[in-house]
Amino acid sequence: MKPRVAFFDFAGCEGDQLQVANLEEELLTLLGQVEVVSFREVMKEHSDNYDIAFIEGSCTRIQDEDRLKQIRKNAKIVVAIGSCATIGGINSLKNSRDSLEVRRTVYGENAKLFDTYAARPIDAVIPVDAYVHGCPIDKDEFLHVVKSLLLGKKPDIPNYPVCVECKKNENVCAFERGQNCVGPVTRAGCNSCCVNQGTICWGCRGLVDNPNENSHKEVLIKYGLTVDDAISKFKLYFGWQERKR
Amino acid sequence: MKILMKEDFADFVNSLIKDDSWNVIGVKAKGTKFAFDPLESAGELRLDYDVTLLPPKKYFFPQRETLFTYSLATGRSSRNLVEAKQTVIIGVHPYDIVALFHMDEIFRETKSDPYYFEKRKASIIIGVNMQKMSKWCFAPLMGCAIVDYGYDLMLTDLGNRYAISVGSQKGGDLLAKYAKNITDALARDIQLVGQKKRDIVNMSQQKFDFPPEFIPELLKKTYEESDFWENHSEKCLACGSCVLVCPTCYCFDVKDHADLTLEHGERVRTWDGCLLEDFAKIASGENFRPTRPTRYRHRYFKKGKYLFDRFGFISCVGCGRCGSNCLPNIANPVDLFNDMYHETQSMGLVVTPAVNPEVNIQTEGNIDYVPRLASIVKKTQMTANETFFEIKLDDGTDIGHKPGQFVEISVFGIGEAPISLSSPPTKKGSFEICVRKLGNVTTKMHALEVGDRVGVRGPFGNGFDTEALKGKDLLFVAGGLGIAPLRSLFNFILDNRKDYGKVFLLYGCKEPRELLFGEELAALTTRNDVEFKPTVNWCPENEIWSGNIGVITTLIPQVAFDPEKTIAIVCGPPVMYKFVIADLKQRKVPDDHIIMSLERRMKCGVGKCGHCQINHVYVCKDGPVFNYSKAKGIPEAL
Repeated sequence: MKPRVAFFDFAGCEGDQLQVANLEEELLTLLGQVEVVSFREVMKEHSDNYDIAFIEGSCTRIQDEDRLKQIRKNAKIVVAIGSCATIGGINSLKNSRDSLEVRRTVYGENAKLFDTYAARPIDAVIPVDAYVHGCPIDKDEFLHVVKSLLLGKKPDIPNYPVCVECKKNENVCAFERGQNCVGPVTRAGCNSCCVNQGTICWGCRGLVDNPNENSHKEVLIKYGLTVDDAISKFKLYFGWQERKR
Repeated sequence: MKILMKEDFADFVNSLIKDDSWNVIGVKAKGTKFAFDPLESAGELRLDYDVTLLPPKKYFFPQRETLFTYSLATGRSSRNLVEAKQTVIIGVHPYDIVALFHMDEIFRETKSDPYYFEKRKASIIIGVNMQKMSKWCFAPLMGCAIVDYGYDLMLTDLGNRYAISVGSQKGGDLLAKYAKNITDALARDIQLVGQKKRDIVNMSQQKFDFPPEFIPELLKKTYEESDFWENHSEKCLACGSCVLVCPTCYCFDVKDHADLTLEHGERVRTWDGCLLEDFAKIASGENFRPTRPTRYRHRYFKKGKYLFDRFGFISCVGCGRCGSNCLPNIANPVDLFNDMYHETQSMGLVVTPAVNPEVNIQTEGNIDYVPRLASIVKKTQMTANETFFEIKLDDGTDIGHKPGQFVEISVFGIGEAPISLSSPPTKKGSFEICVRKLGNVTTKMHALEVGDRVGVRGPFGNGFDTEALKGKDLLFVAGGLGIAPLRSLFNFILDNRKDYGKVFLLYGCKEPRELLFGEELAALTTRNDVEFKPTVNWCPENEIWSGNIGVITTLIPQVAFDPEKTIAIVCGPPVMYKFVIADLKQRKVPDDHIIMSLERRMKCGVGKCGHCQINHVYVCKDGPVFNYSKAKGIPEAL
């Protein structure tokens, strides 16, 4: 029997599910291996009988925890997809600001009606079996993770920085181009896609297991950032991970 | 020496490009930097470059390379045929030519790497003498700024013309076939080339405070200076940039990639680097080089000491790429070696030039990365995590191993893992392994059934010298899964019992339910020619155990052996060795009477990928069996 697959979304932009929907032809081949029972972005049907749950978005409300726990109970394998789900993502930017102020910015006068707490990745609430990092996720890596799960192996998610892929791709270093980059502390696996396009790494895949953040901050400052700039550079995606460390 | 006017040289390059039988590569601008890339016209060539982002080794040892493809349905795997298209690489600087020479030696040692050499043989190297030198370049200090070997053609820019030295027959033929208006160099041109070469040697902005011949000795004297290595690597980002841009780095990783049907796939190798955190980590989670200072030190030792001892050259050509790519600026070898020199001077140490080692590189045949097919003929679950497999090669041959050797077992689509052979060579027709569920491959193996196919490469490693053990008393000391490799020797001894003296077997595991080969070992108690003593670290209340309780070393005082006549054979988890060895030494066992089998991340099995290296030795090739008298001089071994 084909494994039954369901997609769920929490606080996020649904861009990761869009990446999956965008797989097009590959998605059809993949569908030969799995049965999708719930995927709001592309189908009406829904079922609570599934083996693999893909969860997008971060958890930002206490009420969401119950829904996450229910998914964990139903699924054999839980996969977090996208930065919000894997590391807290951009949503975590609000964590360092006053909660009421944040809600006022978004909801205006009705701020008090909307309950929220510090944005956090899925694994801050329930155990997660596999991760597809990225903002948005990389289609090929999503396929790699799905194939690995179907084959019964642990997905191969690198524990080295983006620099490794950048060097293999023979990019001119962003720092050499007069820009700043968080690639030296960010987990690779994206094939350095942003730097390949001439921009910089923003850190959407989160930190490697043991980043040398002090040295990296020194590098950022050496290349012209102020201490505040250097700290905010890290905060874009690393808000939750930094707090945890 | 020949002369070609620049417009004629451009025509030469363009006619090569027009001829589809050639893949023409040259140095081109990439942003503010330079890179080797396919040429579309001679106009793109930038022979005035300082250094390229990556060295030209990428054409022979690519960042990612398919070793073979497999199909689960047919069980067949076939080697990826290397594109036979001939490649000409234009604009290689002398230091990169020397680096290719180093790579040749490394990929040739013991067994040749066919993927590398097929591409190497189909290539023509057109070198160019440096016109500009990056500020990080110290090739002149390493004697690699000019070169008189390793190229097919070598260009020197003489303003409106190139002087061309022909280094090989195929270089000369290429020139004759594709270039027009070639003239012989005049005395003036030859003189000018000589002058240019002398100028190049003085172009470097880097300076050693000591003669570079000191490097191997400098390293040797500072190995133990942990403060030195910690201070120098404190800012290391472990980003691997220095190793990935290095023209002589050759470490690689190997992985399986299934396609979407999951029925077919490929095994690929990709560049890896010893600076990266997980480089020496094995499936059990043990990391044999877990800290930045140890990995940083290993890189410099590899270049300046280990490869020097093995091949007789310092494997650094002074291109300066590592220094220029290091953001915290801690990777310039000139700075590091100068600091090292001053450190030794402040310690009052006398450093001398390294004596050239005796190099004796043997090479025989090609490496085969494609496994042989084999089938599981018997599967017995031994404990919750360990399963015993009997495996038969499909071609009906014996694996042909020595006790103590290992095989690389493939589960296609999952990967390959090194597993010790557990059966003695006296067992014919099939071999046995005991597999602990740890990583991807071993976990998947536990789900396989009798009749299922696996791939097998090997046997690999040195194994135990059964001849040298003849007539000796033998004390086996096995901890946990360490019994698996020792069983290949132990059972061999039992099958040839009269050739050996007394035999003791001490075997310990954590608790009774983790005991391996239980029935087989229980049968030993009825024999009077073997003394068998098991132990467990503890016994939970719901389990039964009548034997010794305590760690393995508690058994050593319980056996009466003559240290002069006895050889101790030790295998167990990494933490076990130093305690067992200390207790054996206390019993006056001489160092050279202790033999150990060590575990590391054996990825390729043939001494190429770099993962299993402990200091200068490759566990997969020089081990896994080591005599303690030698291993004690290898600091990373224990």
